[in-house]
Amino acid sequence: MNAAVDLVRAEWTKLLTTKVGYWLVAVGALMAAGFTALFTAFAGDQGSGPGGPGGPGLPAVGTEAYASLVAGIPAQVVVIAVVLGVIGTTQEYRHRTATPTFLVTPRRGRVVVAKLVAYAVAGLVLAVAAVAATVLVATLYGGARGGAPDWTADAVGTLLRSGLALVVYAVIGVGVGALVRNQVGAVVGALVYLFVVEPIVASVPATADAYRWLPGGALAALTGDGRGTDLLGTWEGGALLLGYGLLAAVLGTVLAVRRDVV
Amino acid sequence: MRLDGRRRGGTERGGVISSEAATAEGRVEVRDLTKTFGSVTAVDSLSFTVEPGQVTGFLGPNGAGKTTTLRMALGLITPDRGTATIGGTPYAALPRPATRVGAVLETAFHPGRSGRDHLRVYCRAAGLPTRRADDVLAQVGLTPAGGRRAGGYSLGMRQRLGLATALLGDPRVLVLDEPANGLDPEGIQWLRGFLRHLAHDQGRTVLVSSHLLAEVEQTADRVVIVGAGKLVREGSLAELRDESAGTVLVRTPASAQLAAALTGAGAAVESTAPDALTVTGMTTEQVGAHAFSAGVELHELRARTTGLEEVYFRLTSGAEQYAATGGGAS
Ligand SMILES: Nc1ncnc2c1ncn2[C@@H]1O[C@H](COP(=O)(O)OP(=O)(O)OP(=O)(O)O)[C@@H](O)[C@H]1O
Ligand SMILES: [Mg+2]
Repeated sequence: MNAAVDLVRAEWTKLLTTKVGYWLVAVGALMAAGFTALFTAFAGDQGSGPGGPGGPGLPAVGTEAYASLVAGIPAQVVVIAVVLGVIGTTQEYRHRTATPTFLVTPRRGRVVVAKLVAYAVAGLVLAVAAVAATVLVATLYGGARGGAPDWTADAVGTLLRSGLALVVYAVIGVGVGALVRNQVGAVVGALVYLFVVEPIVASVPATADAYRWLPGGALAALTGDGRGTDLLGTWEGGALLLGYGLLAAVLGTVLAVRRDVV
Repeated sequence: MRLDGRRRGGTERGGVISSEAATAEGRVEVRDLTKTFGSVTAVDSLSFTVEPGQVTGFLGPNGAGKTTTLRMALGLITPDRGTATIGGTPYAALPRPATRVGAVLETAFHPGRSGRDHLRVYCRAAGLPTRRADDVLAQVGLTPAGGRRAGGYSLGMRQRLGLATALLGDPRVLVLDEPANGLDPEGIQWLRGFLRHLAHDQGRTVLVSSHLLAEVEQTADRVVIVGAGKLVREGSLAELRDESAGTVLVRTPASAQLAAALTGAGAAVESTAPDALTVTGMTTEQVGAHAFSAGVELHELRARTTGLEEVYFRLTSGAEQYAATGGGAS
């Protein structure tokens, strides 16, 4: 038990003695603040998209719809959470520190488990930062525009689930990194998946049905941003997302144990 | 320079360890190790033993399989066949390996992390107090640079950081893969003294690889020589030195007559030119005496020391040839 705690602390020491973790949390919080400011600035505007002027636009500040929209914003920075986790594992291979790491802990599965725990906590820190930034901007800026969100139980629930999503995506990132090992490959792969593959799958009618089973669909269900009606239920989506996190973790662990460290 | 031995209760440190149990604990045994990468057999049925209290040089030309062997012994590469044990236990099964074995493989650190923080990471992972980081920094003479980013270290400083990492757990066994790479002459001198001190004065096991004999010649007591993944020679450096002595060059107009006389007396004789012989297994005095009693006129008689380097070259060049022809004539 002590040894397990030591290993998790070693991972934190690694994270806290380099800059990338601080940067990612800062960027995540800034992104959440930026999105919130954007939605608040244009709150109440009429839509000008395919629906034409007068179509559905952004909900006005102070409305329940506005609060619910803003509460889902932290989930928009899942990409940062994934990158955080991916870097956590791949930098061991990039800088060849996998060698001393596995020399100290030859039972490599323990290292991966320690990373999963350490980065779940790091994801939690990112989540707190993103949620805080969102709430702060929505309250101050929304208030200045005439209606700070009314933090109802529903809105708070959405906020918390959005934060939880960040934790799960950080865990997924650790697993993906352990699978791919190549840092650039894993980061680029994750970005392409999140910003190209999933949106296409979601918008092509023939595959739209499958979207709900993907991490993005599960995330949408969990955070209830109302993207589609054919999503899973909130907690089913959450469970599926957690399943993806565990799958990545188990696969990553098995491969890290089997592969030669050269 | 004395290592901190307080944490390992009961085990005597700082003096030569002589007890049977302590010797067994520090013994490294490689048995029948084999590893193939695709079509390349990097290590081929390799067996050897490394004893504590000595510096053992692990020699072989580039690509001989040294790094692969060491990584297998340390549980980083899974062998196709065979075992490697430290004190009778495979590395991966050691309860707290960092306190038993220290390894310097290629330099590995995050460039943005300071040397001291790098060491602290492994203190934490190994369950050691973080002050060990400062102890080992001092031990390798890196204290002034401890707070700087490791990415800015010179090659020699990186090697020292690697050595410091290996020493964190005050291990009984040290395994070093080409540790002299990048060290200046002063650094090499220091490393030699340091390794000898660890082995001779403190009774630790020191296994150090190199592709240059000259590099370990002044440090090692024993050598394990590999070529093309196979064991070529295992023995003390003194034995190897004996082998390099004992060649006598003779020039004589009656070479056939002298060759017959010397061969009859048990020497190995090789004719290198119409009037020249190379004699192995006899001193110059013995050759001179035989020539005198055979009534042979000599134009030259001298001992030739082939040098250790040449013996090493002869031993391993055979292996290289073997590798190049893929198992043909040797
Ligand atoms: N991961 C790998 N994949 C493929 N081949 C490998 C791998 N590692 C080593 N080899 C091959 O195995 C052989 C032995 O390599 P190894 O690195 O063990 O030699 P070495 O004795 O350490 O050489 P050097 O003195 O150059 O460091 C070489 O032919 C090498 O190309
Ligand atoms: Mg090598």
